[in-house]
Amino acid sequence: MHISVKDNLKRDKSARAGLAIIAVLILFSMITPFFSGNPEAFSRSIFLRPGLNNILGTNDLGQDIFSRLAHGLRTSLMVSIGVGVIATSISLLMGVSSGFIGGIYDIIVMRIIDAFLVMPSIIILILLSVFIRPATVTMIILISLLCWPEGARIIRGQTLALKEKRHIYSARTFGAKKTYILFRHIIPDLGNIIVVSFIHNARTAVFLEAGMAFIGISSITTISLGTIMHNAFKFYYLPVWLWWFLPPGILLSMILLSFTFLGNLMEKLIDPRLNNA
Amino acid sequence: MRKKCFSYIIAFLIIITLNFIVPRLLPGDPLSAIYGEEVLLKLSGETREYINSTYNLDRPVAIQYVLHVISIFRGNLGYSIYYKKPVIELVFSYIPYTIILMGLGMLISTALGIVLGIESGWRRGKRYDRFILFMMIFFSGFPAFFMGACFLIIFGVILDILPFQGAKTAYSGMAASGITFDFLRHLILPLLSLVFVFTPSSYLLTRNAMISSIKEPYILLAKAKGLKDIRIRYGHAGRNSLIPVATHTGVRLGTVMMTGTLFIEIIFSYPGMGTLIYNSILNRDYPVIQGSFLFVAVLVLLINFLMDISYVRLDPRIEYAY
Repeated sequence: MHISVKDNLKRDKSARAGLAIIAVLILFSMITPFFSGNPEAFSRSIFLRPGLNNILGTNDLGQDIFSRLAHGLRTSLMVSIGVGVIATSISLLMGVSSGFIGGIYDIIVMRIIDAFLVMPSIIILILLSVFIRPATVTMIILISLLCWPEGARIIRGQTLALKEKRHIYSARTFGAKKTYILFRHIIPDLGNIIVVSFIHNARTAVFLEAGMAFIGISSITTISLGTIMHNAFKFYYLPVWLWWFLPPGILLSMILLSFTFLGNLMEKLIDPRLNNA
Repeated sequence: MRKKCFSYIIAFLIIITLNFIVPRLLPGDPLSAIYGEEVLLKLSGETREYINSTYNLDRPVAIQYVLHVISIFRGNLGYSIYYKKPVIELVFSYIPYTIILMGLGMLISTALGIVLGIESGWRRGKRYDRFILFMMIFFSGFPAFFMGACFLIIFGVILDILPFQGAKTAYSGMAASGITFDFLRHLILPLLSLVFVFTPSSYLLTRNAMISSIKEPYILLAKAKGLKDIRIRYGHAGRNSLIPVATHTGVRLGTVMMTGTLFIEIIFSYPGMGTLIYNSILNRDYPVIQGSFLFVAVLVLLINFLMDISYVRLDPRIEYAY
């Protein structure tokens, strides 16, 4: 049973589109801040319409919306990748150790995971954000601490299943040490699931960060897609929403959609039966 | 089931503890947090001590925690600084709107998702299926607040056909059409946004379940018996595709739907819990934020718990999953 990511990607149009969108957005957010000017610079020309100097016009403080958008996109992507890495690492650590060690440790970890899963994480994040007013890095840590249990649960289940597989059993009969089995057999075999939980966490993070910023409880100095929308929504009765409110919203939806497509592709890789559906 | 109950108890304790600890993590003592830095100059030592002892702030943290938990069980969620009312009263005057909005949103979106999903799965690959599938996937990428804001701007501001703020117009009780009509008109936009946000997931689930159930032998038999198309579609295939949808709706009701509703309420200033929390954030009314956080979080826990119990009734196989 060999499943190639490449072949599946070739077949799946939507996943290819998702990958392309993410790649373009990452490139865009990396390049544009170099020449789009200072997003914090005030000017007297407020509420300008889109034009040659300001591609998307200016906001109520005379700041260039386009450069704010580029910086905001960078923050959102940073949060998503940061949370993806940190939360997935925690999931991997807790999931694999819990499945591999077993016993009382497994029971304790599972109870903690279950407790996290039944709690409403967004509402907890709101409480924490109100008091902490997290900037980007703090936000990444907070979201990671709330997001890891879901992945950990799946990874633990898979570890348990892998532990009973024939090749692991035979490696053990050859006298392989536990650490060898862990790093040589179990973790590489978890590859696809790790990618799935990475994508899932990254998607959740973009959504949560934008939500917190939109209701105005992240740090005021951070520029993110959510804060731009927060500021723009105050002027919903003016036509400025077309070039101020809509672009960050569309970017946000595009990021979320691409992650969904990539996630679907990875889920198909794990469970090929979905291919027919 | 015992394990499940145990994790709910842990979750409850975590929520209460967070609610106790987080405000205390802020630098400085509560008095300077509320009155500002000048508190040391303006209030005399005696006054400060008096306030500290009335609110038990001079006791050890452990005892404060115990007192906190006891007062929560007595239904005392604190006293609002801004509204000058007990928090529990505020919560009870705001929660009905949230329940109406969330309940209707859930019912309409689930029903719509199931019907569209059954039709779509039945005609898999045809033009109807592809169109609906595309629309649903497209809408599933929209965060609730973006969807709500777009509806508000399009229908409320540009077309100017529907009210988009609050739950009723002032003095609408005096109008000839009455208060019900006004209330319903205010409900349309928030509800529409919620339906657009919630429908895709129940649609996608029904469609998937439908596609796998129309391959089953009993469908072939039903066709061979010469049953009407619509009867097979809804009575046989559709009915058996409902279990995953029902369980999934239960899982989503507590967390996803509740938070989606909160965001939509904030957008439309609909007087539910979301707006209460949002206004309290703007007014820095910390007791209300804490109290409503606790209330909503425990409500979600309760919903999740009830759902967990009812799945087992719906599909006894689930019991073995734990």
